[in-house]
Amino acid sequence: MPDQVLISYKELQHDGFRQNPFFQCLLAEVLEEHKSKEGHTIVGYALYYYTYSTWKGPSVYLEDLYVMPEFRGKGIGKNLLSKVAQVAKEKHCARLQMSVLDWNTPSRDFYAAKGAQDLTVSEGWHFIRFDGQALDNLANEAPKD
Amino acid sequence: MDFSIRAANVEDCKDITRMIMELAEYEKMSDHVKISQKDLEQDGFSKNPFFHGIIAEVPEQHKTKEGHTKVGYALYFYAYSSIKGRTIYMEDLYVMPEFRGKGIGKALMSKVAQLGLAAACAQLNFTVLDWNKSSRDFYFSQGCFNVTSDQGYHCMRCEGEALEHLAQP
Repeated sequence: MPDQVLISYKELQHDGFRQNPFFQCLLAEVLEEHKSKEGHTIVGYALYYYTYSTWKGPSVYLEDLYVMPEFRGKGIGKNLLSKVAQVAKEKHCARLQMSVLDWNTPSRDFYAAKGAQDLTVSEGWHFIRFDGQALDNLANEAPKD
Repeated sequence: MDFSIRAANVEDCKDITRMIMELAEYEKMSDHVKISQKDLEQDGFSKNPFFHGIIAEVPEQHKTKEGHTKVGYALYFYAYSSIKGRTIYMEDLYVMPEFRGKGIGKALMSKVAQLGLAAACAQLNFTVLDWNKSSRDFYFSQGCFNVTSDQGYHCMRCEGEALEHLAQP
């Protein structure tokens, strides 16, 4: 969905590296001798943030998990995911949550193999969103203070 | 009916805890609730809170049989989309059954949307159970869309033993 990406590296710098960051990020790096054809040594990342469950308390949401295609199958994705899980444990978070596209079978299999439950299938949870004009309209109807 | 909407404070945690249990019972998941009033006080009203709350109150003359004037709440936190930037996530939205149909739920949700826009958020996100027709009808009448049905995103979770196992170095 590349046409949907609206933010730039400037937003990431501002939002992730300020006093109360909106997210945290882990990077996977390889040695110089294993760099990609274009010269990249940073070959994967996990972007996550803290959320709250009114049932279980602090939780972690894994927004992105990505490894460049030529570096897959080497355990990098698993290591990034484990590291996020370790962070969740250290911060006493009861849950690690993420979303995955229904057609993305390799990712669904990957997460299922790690013990993740698909709550959409097992419990019927659906993600709902307001954005664009619908969000503006809703906000305009808020009671005046 | 007259009602007011305001930011929650630590004294509201007793009523928020009560209403969290009412909402969990409605969602048929009351045995899943593990946090207490004290947890809410600590997690929501310390230096780096995990969440923020909004309370809906009615005047004394409209209080419930049990004497409650705090009759609804919304609980939210700031999140992030690597595609769109800052977002706001509404974890809970609840109005006690006898106070529904009076615009309180709409007012709470609108307030969350307003706060989100003020913080430069591009989206207001939340979840709903597929069998919860009355909530779904309410939400969709306000102009939102179903990301799961339309785009195919599934909610995934690791907890308990699976999370312990995953966290092994």
